[in-house]
Amino acid sequence: MSGVIWTVKYKPRTLSEVVGNEEAKKKLLEWARAWKEGRIPEKKAVFLYGPPGTGKTVAIEALANDLGFELIETNASDFRTEEQIMRLAGPAAASLTLTGKLRMILFDELDGITGTADTGGLSAIMKVVRRARCPIALIANDPWDPRFRPLRALCLMVEFKRVGERDIIKHLRRICEREGIKADWKALQFIAKRANGDVRSAVIDLQAVAQGKKVLTYEDVTWLGTRDRKKEIFRVLGNIFHADSCSRALTAARETDVDPDMLFEWVYENVPRAYRDPRDIAKAMDALSKADMFRGRIIRTQNWELGRYFTTFMTAGVAMAKEVSKPGFVKFSFPERIRFLSTAKPQREIQKAIAQAVKKRCHVSMKEATEKVIPYLKIIFQNNPEMAAGLARWLGLDAEAIRFLTADERKAKRILSLLEAS
Amino acid sequence: MSMMMWTEKYRPRTLDEMVDQEEIVARLKSFVEARNVPHCLFAGPPGTGKTTAALCLAHDLYGEEYPNFIMELNASDERGINVIRETVKTFARSMAIGEVPFKLLILDEADNMTADAQQALRRTMERYTETCRFILIANYSARIIEPIQSRCAPFRFSYLRPEHIAARLKYIAENEDVELLDSGVEAILDVSGGDLRKAINTLQAAASLGKPIDAEVVYSVVGRANPSYVRDMLEAAMDGQFVKARRILRELIWRYGVAGSDLIRQIHSQIFKIDIPERWKIRIVDVIGEIDFRLTMGANEEVQLSALLARLAEFGQLIKRGS
Repeated sequence: MSGVIWTVKYKPRTLSEVVGNEEAKKKLLEWARAWKEGRIPEKKAVFLYGPPGTGKTVAIEALANDLGFELIETNASDFRTEEQIMRLAGPAAASLTLTGKLRMILFDELDGITGTADTGGLSAIMKVVRRARCPIALIANDPWDPRFRPLRALCLMVEFKRVGERDIIKHLRRICEREGIKADWKALQFIAKRANGDVRSAVIDLQAVAQGKKVLTYEDVTWLGTRDRKKEIFRVLGNIFHADSCSRALTAARETDVDPDMLFEWVYENVPRAYRDPRDIAKAMDALSKADMFRGRIIRTQNWELGRYFTTFMTAGVAMAKEVSKPGFVKFSFPERIRFLSTAKPQREIQKAIAQAVKKRCHVSMKEATEKVIPYLKIIFQNNPEMAAGLARWLGLDAEAIRFLTADERKAKRILSLLEAS
Repeated sequence: MSMMMWTEKYRPRTLDEMVDQEEIVARLKSFVEARNVPHCLFAGPPGTGKTTAALCLAHDLYGEEYPNFIMELNASDERGINVIRETVKTFARSMAIGEVPFKLLILDEADNMTADAQQALRRTMERYTETCRFILIANYSARIIEPIQSRCAPFRFSYLRPEHIAARLKYIAENEDVELLDSGVEAILDVSGGDLRKAINTLQAAASLGKPIDAEVVYSVVGRANPSYVRDMLEAAMDGQFVKARRILRELIWRYGVAGSDLIRQIHSQIFKIDIPERWKIRIVDVIGEIDFRLTMGANEEVQLSALLARLAEFGQLIKRGS
């Protein structure tokens, strides 16, 4: 069982390992060296900006690691009101650690600090930057947001560009080597192209298609986009669903190099295709539910020994569920969940950001904002661009949020152009 | 004036502007005159002016700069007792500057706090009374522990009277140059059930359609704002269509970002409205409870809820056969 996410496992430790963006890294290192050598640079803060997955956060983490800074980090998951920022960064910005290490403060995901949800947050950050006696790093996707204007003047601006295809391929190849996977160049190129400069998503895609394999072919990766998948998984699934004994079902799983977590997704997707009778489906789903509980336990306790129960319920448990159904030839389908996770941006995050903005403006909780305000916002955004644009400005919603609320690219564009025009 | 949510644009700013809850408003005004506010517990249904009353009180007490003297916290958003403890304490113990010697802490959805968190709060309320007064807001005062209740002046907010809501809606419509027909007003009153926030949100969403607002427009807006996904999902499951039910589940989780715990709560309340023999409902709740427990144990909410849907599909078949 391999629960480790490759973006974590292969996270760069040192700045030189960060993929691409050589110029930015050089600029960054020069700036940080000055701090290290006790010369306070003219700009006490750096502002890293660029599209998602281009290595901004990891660059800062690697830099801190390289120079021995203690990194204090806040991101959009933290509340960042003025008070909270001053409490966190106020004292830290003014002193060394007990061990004499220099501190470095990172304000990540500044895009998520809406003027509305985090009252006074940005001006508190300005304050921290002005008073700083330690290096400060700011990160945002879009630095040209007017709200950041005063910050921009105070910071050394460092752009992170979309990473080139070749650099991404090189990175993917390195990972494959360390995982013992022989990968076709064409396969890696396919992944890199799809990523469009986003290293993180490329690595996530790679893990989805390659984990647990010895060889990665072009065919393997095409199912990132389409629904074609190697025969191997079909064979294993067939053996599990047709197995007439526990040991046969277990053997089917043991004899393959398909990753158990991935296999689980396939079994879960295809239970209602293999079995037709509701009683059998219920029993099989119950086995998967139990398997999932063991997986939860493994995650919590890190007791990998429990993996055998996970596997048993997912294979034998599902096989023994068929009392009525007689699975014949089954056309298995690709797990919808994997497809979704590898393509869409987490809608829940976007919705949360909107709820956060509503919460502060409308004096409601996140839950009320989600249940009692956002549904009405959706209607307004889908029907009345003028009103929507006004509300978007009032709430401080970004393009992503507007797209979420309209669920329609054309309508979103219309609202965005209204916003720009005014 | 720039565009904003009408609930905010037309939220009363001062106690004088509050037209309903007359007795409560009168008592709050007397607090303002005395420049002294006890700890308060505002209890009542949603959309009846609890938060508004707290904000108006703050405004009248401190003037336009009132946001500097208050802190709004929502218990349902603050995870765990420690956050509440820390944030509340830090705010409560610092001194207020100005002619009013204390600040106001408005703690919304206080009935969502665990008993432990409430116990912790009780101390804080006592210790920092000098510098900070608490306004606890709750739907159900019974869920607030006794010791806290006894330290608070109780205020019961009741449903707003229909004629007051109607007057408010008409006032807003006139101001916004929206044509609101009588049948539209009736329909909004019908669907909002005394919840002014819901009424105004419905009005604004209806207005966004750009046509005269009659009953039909209102009901179409309400239908869209409260899609019956959960019921559709349950009906599909009970009809034996597991695959369809799972598809709706995925929509809800992936596209609408509904949390598993919220879903299971809604499923539980919907089950009683479904047309099946009563004794089956209890059997189903038994399964729901088991899955609710597994949700907290497991790694993947979707798998657990799917297992529930599969069980419902099985039950649906048994019910059809009349067993």
